[in-house]
Amino acid sequence: MDTIFIQRTDIGRWLDRLAEERTVFAPTRRDGAVVYRPYRTGFVLELDAMPTTSPKEIVFPQNETLLTYSRAGNASGGAPKVEARETLPEQKAVIFGARPCGVNGLGVFDQVFDNDKTRDAYYTARRKDTRIITFACDRPRSTCFCTNVGGGPGDAAGSDVMLYPLGDGFVAEAVTTGGKAMLSLATGAPAGDREVAAKALVETAREAMPEPLELARIRENFDKCFNDMEFWEEQSGKCLSCGACAYLCPSCHCFNITDEGTESEGKRLRSWDNCMSYTFTAEASGHNPRAAKAMRLRNRVGHKFVYFPETHEGEVACRGCGRCIVSCPSSVDIRQIAKAIQEYCDDDK
Amino acid sequence: MKQSIREALPGLDLVLGWEQGWDALHATPLFIRKAEDVDRLILGPTCVQSLAVQLPSLKGKKVGIVVKGCDSRAVVQLLRERLLDRAEIILFGFGCDGVVSLKRLTKVLGDLDSVTSVKKTDDRLVVESPDGRREAAFDDVCAPKCLDCAWPNAVESDHFAGPRLEPRPPAESKTALERFEEKSLDERFAFWKREMERCIRCYACRNACPMCVCRDKCLAVSRNSKFVSQEANPSESFMFQLIHVMHLAGRCVSCGECERACPMDIPLGLLRAQSTAVTEELFHEQAGTDPEAPLPLLTFKTDEETIEERD
Amino acid sequence: MPASPGVDSGNELRILGFLCNWCSYGGADSAGVARLEQPTDLRIIRTPCTGRIDPLFIVRALINGADGVLVSGCHPGDCHYVEGNFHARRRLETLKRILPVTGINPDRFMYTWVSASESGRWQEVVREFTARIHTLGPAPRMSDTLTETLAAEGLPMQATNGVK
Repeated sequence: MDTIFIQRTDIGRWLDRLAEERTVFAPTRRDGAVVYRPYRTGFVLELDAMPTTSPKEIVFPQNETLLTYSRAGNASGGAPKVEARETLPEQKAVIFGARPCGVNGLGVFDQVFDNDKTRDAYYTARRKDTRIITFACDRPRSTCFCTNVGGGPGDAAGSDVMLYPLGDGFVAEAVTTGGKAMLSLATGAPAGDREVAAKALVETAREAMPEPLELARIRENFDKCFNDMEFWEEQSGKCLSCGACAYLCPSCHCFNITDEGTESEGKRLRSWDNCMSYTFTAEASGHNPRAAKAMRLRNRVGHKFVYFPETHEGEVACRGCGRCIVSCPSSVDIRQIAKAIQEYCDDDK
Repeated sequence: MKQSIREALPGLDLVLGWEQGWDALHATPLFIRKAEDVDRLILGPTCVQSLAVQLPSLKGKKVGIVVKGCDSRAVVQLLRERLLDRAEIILFGFGCDGVVSLKRLTKVLGDLDSVTSVKKTDDRLVVESPDGRREAAFDDVCAPKCLDCAWPNAVESDHFAGPRLEPRPPAESKTALERFEEKSLDERFAFWKREMERCIRCYACRNACPMCVCRDKCLAVSRNSKFVSQEANPSESFMFQLIHVMHLAGRCVSCGECERACPMDIPLGLLRAQSTAVTEELFHEQAGTDPEAPLPLLTFKTDEETIEERD
Repeated sequence: MPASPGVDSGNELRILGFLCNWCSYGGADSAGVARLEQPTDLRIIRTPCTGRIDPLFIVRALINGADGVLVSGCHPGDCHYVEGNFHARRRLETLKRILPVTGINPDRFMYTWVSASESGRWQEVVREFTARIHTLGPAPRMSDTLTETLAAEGLPMQATNGVK
């Protein structure tokens, strides 16, 4: 039996059992923000709101220690003794309560950090034994546009278990064998008719999604508008050039590497970075090829809709979750920028 | 307001205002360049952003800006610091009777999506969406700064639209800072540890701050000198907040943009409120009210009446 | 005088001193030359003037785990650069009054004026400030190992780094 119905009140018990074997990262509320934190008894779950942060932080934390080092002087006057120790993470985790868009975002990470050319040891160490329990969406928000970029409110790709909300519980369906094992720990009843009802809700949600963007045209027009700085200044005028969009984005994966510590000991740290920040492309010479925020926002939109697709068979890196729209202090709307590119006409220029 | 902007527009490069964002609850900055853009301008309780944040980067252009009282204080403070040229700025002021805090609104009315209309009537806020009509007392959902706003009208303006409003009397209920001060020092420290734990170091607080003028050269991202590491842990995130607070001491105009901009809903306003209270108590003046006054932390008295001598 | 706390007692705390070159550093030097006994918790950083001290030096020290920070310079009116300490006074007082909102005890930070000839006063300042910091005890830390700190408070942990 792969499909069962789990009451909301039984979710905690299920997570208790899952948490015996794995670290379960589940959504919880911190004032107005919903974040993923390790589940433990007494944890207050937030089962309805879309988390403010994306699940990427579980496989790609904001800070990853790559190595630690120490350097000791040599009493006999020779070269100092330098030691560097690799710190590969160990992680056996469950991401509980991801949304299809967030799971899709991890698909971008997989393509970047775990492919035939590049296999990032730290990322794969976290990712390989991380399982995902996903909430299908029965009510897309007005900022959602996953269907525009190849996803959908019930998209099960990448998930181990799908939970379809229905009334006072969830229809739970195992997608993978790992998911089946996890689901066997849950208390539930046979889903029966409820499976059809729950999936119908998600289908209604899909139908309610906005008009699709013309992704091919965006790619085609991007070249035309690339050097039109007036266009980009208009698009980026209100942008504050902060990193909220990139840090909340489920697919933004750029990073910086710094050595933090003293001469005698410390660590090499990999941290999130974002292309909206001036320092992202600042060169040691003092030159900055993306000195203006217009160029930086152009890069962010370009990477999502053009550069990434060019190297990944047309796949758009934006997953349509809307986090960058919801959390932008200036209400910059990436859909509008995409649309402006789509409708860009250079005839009268 | 629209009329005076239309009239002034030919002599200006652009005018900064607000238009409706993706729904009626979200206003977004509007850059008016052509006469037809003026029609998109809105004024009302959703016009939360301080547009003054844009001004330093528009230096050299002739810029009009629509300002609430609090926004005008940022402009005045920037003028006072000689960071703007008065001859380049045209202020379109109005009397603001308060703006909405999305965070407080959501706490009172719950999740709001696809909002079609937001109206303020007397002391109520009425919000309509496909889920129906919901309303709340305005004081329960407005930005905290509006509760005891002493500067509803633009402090300085070249054009003023609508009636001038009376300042709000000091709030009867305790301010967030007063409530916070009821905690012990250890409780406050633990509080910040917990709040800072979710900071993602996106610097929205800094970039939304109209008085944060170092921009791309911020001390927080400087590797030399290195005040803050890349580690996004409470001590480093708190260190950054205190850099912001110390750099804003005597300059903060209490617009609340730092707290509003925070996507993680960290109550950053508490730190700024303390700093403002302290500098007002020490130097008997308010930032952003007098473009000619000397800056309190760039001047001194040989005998400071408000500072106890330490001989 | 009771035995001073310090390196011999094994309960030394971390106190940082920012001293101006012209007055207080000289005063501390005179106190040393005069063999005036002082507790050993204080670590001194010599600065050209109190006007050179960014309040953020003090904040950084406190957040990094200093149990106390002492700033000392020339008496107002005696600044080698005429007005450095006047500027410093406003900045340091502002910081001192902002500290309560952070939860860092403002008593952990003190600023004062000691001239080069006041070796006795220097001894007194160090003794009193060190005694005060010992009464307060070690400062709470913002984060050593975050996971443990939050776990001890019964709060959910940050997404752990997975590294011990």
